[in-house]
Amino acid sequence: MTAAVTSRRRTTALIGDDNTVVVAGKRLTWRTLHKLPQLPSPAAVLVDSGADALAALRHHAVHGTELLVATESRVDMRMREELGESGFAIVLPNGEVTPAKLKRVEESGRAWLLTSGSTGRPKRIGHTLESLTTVTGDQPPRTWLLPYSPGTYAWWQVVTLSLTQADQGLVVIEPSELEEWPAIAAEHGVTAASGTPTFWRQAIYRDADALAAVPLEQITLGGEPVDQAILDQLREIFPKARISWIYASSEVGASIVVHDGKAGFPKSWLDREPDPERPMLTVQGDELVIRSPHHGAGLVGAVHTGDRIEYDGDRVLITGRLDTDEINVGGSKVSAGVVRNVLMGHPGVSWARVFARKAPLVGRMVAAEVVPNRSLGPITDADLVQWCSTRLPDYGVPRRIKFLDEIPQKETLKSDV
Amino acid sequence: MVKRLTAWVVDGDPLGFGTMSSVARGRVREMMGEVMTAQGRSLPTDDTADLREIGFRSLDFSELALRVEDELGDELNFDAPGLRRIATVGDVLDFIEHLQSA
Repeated sequence: MTAAVTSRRRTTALIGDDNTVVVAGKRLTWRTLHKLPQLPSPAAVLVDSGADALAALRHHAVHGTELLVATESRVDMRMREELGESGFAIVLPNGEVTPAKLKRVEESGRAWLLTSGSTGRPKRIGHTLESLTTVTGDQPPRTWLLPYSPGTYAWWQVVTLSLTQADQGLVVIEPSELEEWPAIAAEHGVTAASGTPTFWRQAIYRDADALAAVPLEQITLGGEPVDQAILDQLREIFPKARISWIYASSEVGASIVVHDGKAGFPKSWLDREPDPERPMLTVQGDELVIRSPHHGAGLVGAVHTGDRIEYDGDRVLITGRLDTDEINVGGSKVSAGVVRNVLMGHPGVSWARVFARKAPLVGRMVAAEVVPNRSLGPITDADLVQWCSTRLPDYGVPRRIKFLDEIPQKETLKSDV
Repeated sequence: MVKRLTAWVVDGDPLGFGTMSSVARGRVREMMGEVMTAQGRSLPTDDTADLREIGFRSLDFSELALRVEDELGDELNFDAPGLRRIATVGDVLDFIEHLQSA
């Protein structure tokens, strides 16, 4: 079954205040998390632990302060200066506070997010707890894994769910625990987890048996193009779990949710009758355009997402960023996302990145980096070229393939695919 | 669609290769064979073999250039003035050699 996200009446009451929150192995609740005394407002709270981020969020929810929360490493000195000049006090992990350079009245209840920066420097997008709370209605009791970097849209999605809904526990995974998260998740009975395709791919690559030991009932993917291969691999490991993928961003919120186990979304979702409770999806040229009720402040109306789509039968696939997805090979154009999907469909491939490489005569050629699936024996670049040759036009076949030892992953759990 | 290997490619006096190490002609030929093999074809031993007849196309030439660049650890400069006819296996090898030795 598939469904677009609809915007029902939302509640941001702290119904989940007594939900379990596991941080650094300790079982607490939202209510018993440590408190951050005298947090200024507006404040940019830079954290180095998930516990501090949750404490800042709860403070914001209780007191209605203006808050930006992010990991310390995501906010460089230049951005700290900019934040100070925009009226934010900077709060460092050790509690040190740098007062704002600009004195201004706080925007009560405003929550600021930083975009992932995939299109350049991170941008600040204004939300509220209400606009960030997109999961509503009765939810089955669940314990959620929280592997996301604090302050990202995906992080807000999981934490607002836990704070505003009953029986939605959280198990926080710190960056240092990312490699062993399945063991921690199994220990604390995690039943739901949301992560990027790269995150899931790494878990399968590192230890599929350890992953299979996690009692997952809900698996969610988002933040990167979701290909059929990773959906199929997860289905094989978790035959009974609901597997969903979400298209969401700081700008347009959670706009597409697909539960049918297939990559892409139905073409019939495009250009539907306007409904103020539901995002409107259209395509202009190759670009996905969304009008969303979950949008950030000042982003009313059609938002050009910068994401490229391609039709595949009755599905609409989101293949990647417009500015990097299309590779022009001697006048013939191919989507890096489509090539990547083909590579990922090879059983011997655990991860792939496809990109353009400058080349004589044709201008650009398709090249790839690949992490092989070690459990299935060695593969060669010739194997992959042959695999792609039967599935792609000549100009789309990656001609230079480099093998990597492990799957690269950034703090955002993405891998620059 | 990508065209077959054009008969003419840029030639002349490329700049900036004075300090670059080079890939020997024999090694370039080996790489050319690897490119052909990956495409399910084979490279004849005869340097006079016609590129059109053996199916060595512009994409193959481009791939060969990238392989040479990877081995050199540097980019080849194809932006030099002048034209040279590339019709045979030997022409390809001469051209790559010329780019490296100029």
